[in-house]
Amino acid sequence: MASLRELQRSFAAALRDSSADCPVTPAANLTIYRNNSAIAFRSALEATFPVIRARVGPDYFRQLAHLYRERFPSRSGDLHFVGGDFAAFLDAHLRDGDYAWLADLARIEWSREEALIAPEHPAVGAEVLARFNPEQLEELVFTFQPSLRLHTSPYPVFSVWLANQSENAPPVDQSLGSECGLIRIRAGSLQIEPLPPSLFSYLYALADGATLGGAMDRSGLDEPGFLNALGFVFREGLVTGVA
Amino acid sequence: MTRLDPRGVPLGPIPARAGIGLRFVHHDALLAERPAIGWIEAHTENYFHDGAAPRALERARANYPLSLHGVGLGLGSADGIDRAHLARVKHAVTRFQPALVSEHACWGHAGGEFFNDLLPLPYTEEAVALLAAHVREAQDFLGVQLLIENVSAYVAFEHSRLAEWEFLTAVVGQSGCGLLLDINNIYVSSKNLGLDAHAFIAGVPVASVREIHLAGHARNGEILIDDHGSAVCDEVWQLYARAIARFGSLPTLIEWDTDIPALATLVAEAARADRVLEESHGLAA
Repeated sequence: MASLRELQRSFAAALRDSSADCPVTPAANLTIYRNNSAIAFRSALEATFPVIRARVGPDYFRQLAHLYRERFPSRSGDLHFVGGDFAAFLDAHLRDGDYAWLADLARIEWSREEALIAPEHPAVGAEVLARFNPEQLEELVFTFQPSLRLHTSPYPVFSVWLANQSENAPPVDQSLGSECGLIRIRAGSLQIEPLPPSLFSYLYALADGATLGGAMDRSGLDEPGFLNALGFVFREGLVTGVA
Repeated sequence: MTRLDPRGVPLGPIPARAGIGLRFVHHDALLAERPAIGWIEAHTENYFHDGAAPRALERARANYPLSLHGVGLGLGSADGIDRAHLARVKHAVTRFQPALVSEHACWGHAGGEFFNDLLPLPYTEEAVALLAAHVREAQDFLGVQLLIENVSAYVAFEHSRLAEWEFLTAVVGQSGCGLLLDINNIYVSSKNLGLDAHAFIAGVPVASVREIHLAGHARNGEILIDDHGSAVCDEVWQLYARAIARFGSLPTLIEWDTDIPALATLVAEAARADRVLEESHGLAA
């Protein structure tokens, strides 16, 4: 007699492939389970990527969800994780085509999903810098809000995301070109916005673990730009620790 | 009178009254309307992480006793318990201090793939032993007794040698868990698979049943689909009255998960369950 493990493997195979045998009756009702798990997966994906769905339409999104699930089936009982590989899937699936930018849009939407479930820590203000000697400042490393995500794209994906926060948004002019920006939660509210490239590269270097001085070198900021960037990260409540 | 902890948060036990399954769309209304329901139950997985959802549950939990109901552990999976998932359940139990914690008599993953559904088990001694071992493992790790719920079924394994109620009774005996009887699931499975719902309710040991679920189902031709998308049907209300007559007054939950109506509709369903409890035994204070 088949073991429980073998029975579950055969049930799982029948959920993936309707022609696979499984010792249950009525076998035709396996379709209900097949649909349930496909709908659970797709619904979670739709909730995580509403702008992608709005741009491509529900029918094409359904096809994408089906293909994505074949390559990247759910690996957790927690549906939050279902969308984690969608950007990588779209990258491979849409590479070099007219919709290649959707992969970067997916990165923004996945970061939104991650930000929405991230904790918010108390921010520290610029006055914390007074605790250090002037010669120490260049070597300081910042810790940022856990929700902070930074993205750069050759496409205007921040503009696409922002435009699609209202219904029936018109397509965004792709000739707007590259954009970079941040995603984070502040006082419970989602913030997704593009940033000037120099400010972005400084913030990116800091969030990557660079020292204040190192980030200035990496981003090529001059002194006024550096002071402006420093003002920005404190004013926006992005910094939670300095060491 | 509900006992309160030092912060004024209601502690268990869950009263033997009707409660409602709390879904995201009702968080604000629950806070604003403060309906006179006995308790609330939330899906554990919806509150695994940080952010607005758990903060909303903390606010709701300040006004009502709470039960956490898991849908993702799949304790009957032969491949074993997903320890990362179990750790997240423990985090939620620690954070929200629920008076009851429940899961399902089902499996959900095989060969590394999760189906995010409540899949049916064969009713065999092997499956009893495996589910009971996993329930014990989860109970030991969580530090609470679990209630295990019977699921709706659309197929039966040819290998099954036990009736579903015999299977559940054996799992209780080998694990020390309690049972959460979903009356709608008993009804749906009995209609789909030609089983005797009354024999189920008459067979389960009285002392093992700690909670009851009620929900609506949909009809697709001859098949009943457990979609939690409508009011509880008359046949399920009749089975419920029979269950209460046998098991005594029990915490009873109204669940609604698709086409979710206004909170008032769930509250009205809960009031109907309260009337059944009252007519049968008199409401517990």
